[in-house]
Amino acid sequence: MLLGLSVYLAVILFIGLSVYQFVKYARMPLHARMELYPVPRERGRHTYGGSYMEEPEWWRKPHQISRSSELIDMLKEMLFIKKLFSSHRSLWWKSYSFHLGLYLLILWAILLIIGALAELSGIPVSPSVSFWTALLYYLTIITGVVGFAIATVGVILLLMRRVFDPVLKKYTTPQEYFNLLLLLAALSTGIAVWIPDLSFAAARQLVAQILTLSVVPDIMLVIHLLLAEVTLIYIPPSKMGHYVGKYFTYHKILWENEPNLAGSPMEDKVKAALANKPATSWGAPHIQNPPAPEA
Amino acid sequence: MTHKDLRPSDLGKSQEQLIHLDNLMPLSFPYDQPDMEPAFPEVKPEWKEKYCTSLDGCVALDTLQRPQTEAEEKELVQKFLRGMEKVFSDANKGVWQPLQLAYDYCAKCDTCSDACHIYKASGDKEVYRPIFRAEAFRKLYKSHITGGSKLYKRFVGADMDINWETVAQLGELAYRCNLCRRCAQVCPLGLDNSLFAKEIRKVFSQEMGIAPTPLHEKGTMLQLKTGSTTGIGKAAFLDMVEFLEEDIEDRIGRKIKIPIDKEGADILLIHNAGEFVAWPENPAAFAILFEEAGIDWTLSSSMIGYDSVNYGIWYDDVQARKIIEQQMQAARDLGVKRIVIGECGHAHKAAGLVADRMLPAEKKIPVESWIPIMWDLVRTGRLKFDPSKNNFPVTLHDPCNIVRQMGIVQPQREILRVIAPQFREMTPSGVDNYCCGGGSGFAIMHSANFEHFRNKVSSRVKFDQILRAFSDTITDRSVPKYVCAPCSNCKGSMRDIFKYYKATDKFNLRYGGLVELMVNALASLDQPYLEFLEG
Ligand code: SF4
Ligand code: SF4
Repeated sequence: MLLGLSVYLAVILFIGLSVYQFVKYARMPLHARMELYPVPRERGRHTYGGSYMEEPEWWRKPHQISRSSELIDMLKEMLFIKKLFSSHRSLWWKSYSFHLGLYLLILWAILLIIGALAELSGIPVSPSVSFWTALLYYLTIITGVVGFAIATVGVILLLMRRVFDPVLKKYTTPQEYFNLLLLLAALSTGIAVWIPDLSFAAARQLVAQILTLSVVPDIMLVIHLLLAEVTLIYIPPSKMGHYVGKYFTYHKILWENEPNLAGSPMEDKVKAALANKPATSWGAPHIQNPPAPEA
Repeated sequence: MTHKDLRPSDLGKSQEQLIHLDNLMPLSFPYDQPDMEPAFPEVKPEWKEKYCTSLDGCVALDTLQRPQTEAEEKELVQKFLRGMEKVFSDANKGVWQPLQLAYDYCAKCDTCSDACHIYKASGDKEVYRPIFRAEAFRKLYKSHITGGSKLYKRFVGADMDINWETVAQLGELAYRCNLCRRCAQVCPLGLDNSLFAKEIRKVFSQEMGIAPTPLHEKGTMLQLKTGSTTGIGKAAFLDMVEFLEEDIEDRIGRKIKIPIDKEGADILLIHNAGEFVAWPENPAAFAILFEEAGIDWTLSSSMIGYDSVNYGIWYDDVQARKIIEQQMQAARDLGVKRIVIGECGHAHKAAGLVADRMLPAEKKIPVESWIPIMWDLVRTGRLKFDPSKNNFPVTLHDPCNIVRQMGIVQPQREILRVIAPQFREMTPSGVDNYCCGGGSGFAIMHSANFEHFRNKVSSRVKFDQILRAFSDTITDRSVPKYVCAPCSNCKGSMRDIFKYYKATDKFNLRYGGLVELMVNALASLDQPYLEFLEG
């Protein structure tokens, strides 16, 4: 019962803390313009990094925006970590192995939930019942096996890179090692728990037990579940929660591209920001007592 | 300890110079030969005594002087920490969020190092690694501002002591970054390391009142007092315009009346006033082109209305805002329809981007770059050219502020394709360009050894790119090779490197803006406009 509840709690905290982080950054004051080109939203120009400012009297012309190219670039970044691929290939292999593994494990968990729900309603997840149960059966195996394998290999490679690269070593704090070790612990205990049954029937059964709050604990399972839960709760407030940060750095800063034009939504935001007088002020003499101009 | 072993927490540990500017990145042919480059000069003992030379033997912060008493030392450290705290507060609204993100999320993946021309040019000197500065900032903040138990501090890497030397070295280090933001472009998390350099500069200026003389005392302060960082007041400005008219007549035999303070004009053109002093052929070329095309334009002679520069954006937001307000005031007073910024990159950014959210929409006059307008005049045939007049190799430098940060990429290339038959790109170019090495104020800073840092280190990659762009004719002295650098500061860097490496004397390397090249190719002109083509 308690073990089952703790899983729900960890998932809720993961979502809640992620939202909390999101709100924290979103509520910070409006920042200055800081785009960097290429900005994918610039229709027709994004391929070479152009912007609406290439047009004379750009403010009189409609801003040509392409949501689709923005979406494509966003997906490339999310699904393939494109930036890293193009600027740091040797690291991309390691990082992508880990991230892709993680994505597969999320998919695996979802498939387990679907499977558990199916079995709870009396449909056995087996290759011989129907096409759909077969699909579910095999997909669960593939996502689970590949997910665990490449995520773990990725973490190990990332960790080794940090330990053996003399440059990175100097910049890595104990906390940053801890982050990777925590992931490694959660993943490797998972492997230890599931490796005896790679059809993941036991995993599906566990999920069904969690759903019905009737988990039958065994020591290895308890360790794995607790580690996985701690990881889930720890991620959002740590720098591993960079999925939150990346939303802001890309969409709200580097790709924002919203001039403060009369009648635009940005105008209202700028006005509100300007009306908000700061409570803190700077101490330098030329700011405290500015000299008067001569002319 | 070699420079490779240096860690951020080594800042301030001793007064010994941390790194020496030797074993720099090798340059391309013909500068790969011995004795082609001046050696780095000795650090004078009196500089060591007076300033902080202990980072790399160069001094940017000439107003930061070694304290005489312990109390002075302590005061500096305290003020610095107070300023650091304010960086994450509503006193710093426009940067708080992006800075917080860069502070929180850096994965120390080290992707940004390879993108940084200063780090690469220096031969990978550790202190110039983009994350070195950022991590020193983080460590100081965590060690001295964020609380926590000893154990927690060790856990998060809060292991950095602070003394006068630490603060001073970090202050110097803030001026070893061109704020070009090339590192931010490659960061997989979209973080901007230049913010740390800029914010440290701001803490020094806005809280401690310490900034390089050319940027502050002889920069924004002078501009706010006299109207221009050149110190040119209104009367002198009007004289210069008159001189420009005479000069145009002498050169090309045309009588042009340069419009000044014309109310209700379509365009208010604002130049970097330094152009009138150092490169008058540039504002003259604008006048020739606009008059030939029949543009309704004017210059302003009112306070700050004739100088587009805004050094504030490099080190002090408060100063930047004051200048922006006055420039907009000048434009509003004249009732012009739009402001057009001449060939000055940082002025583009200041008026076009930084100003954008500093003023409500109704207080702004729309701002645009001169490039799209010129391309329009070329494209529509209002200006006619004979490209054979420009039949020599030309390459284009992309000013970071205009290209990477504003996305104005193609129009200048389109113009060059029309007027310069031997135009070739540098590698890389466009939004991936490298800074000229003069960005963020370096082009005008000359205190103790600083120009050697610029010429040998920060401009090095650009110089190498230029050598490679002209590799086909570099040794042929009879062929002038023109670097088109449509930005005052970039031109300043070119002037300095060409002199430093004797590149004009030895290899006939030339530099200038885009409008000069356009005037040179004007079909209606019967003599060359570019001086180096005259006999
Ligand atoms: S590329 Fe970005 S995340 Fe990686 S070290 Fe540099 S700033 Fe940090
Ligand atoms: S902004 Fe430019 S100079 Fe500064 S660290 Fe980044 S790449 Fe280097």
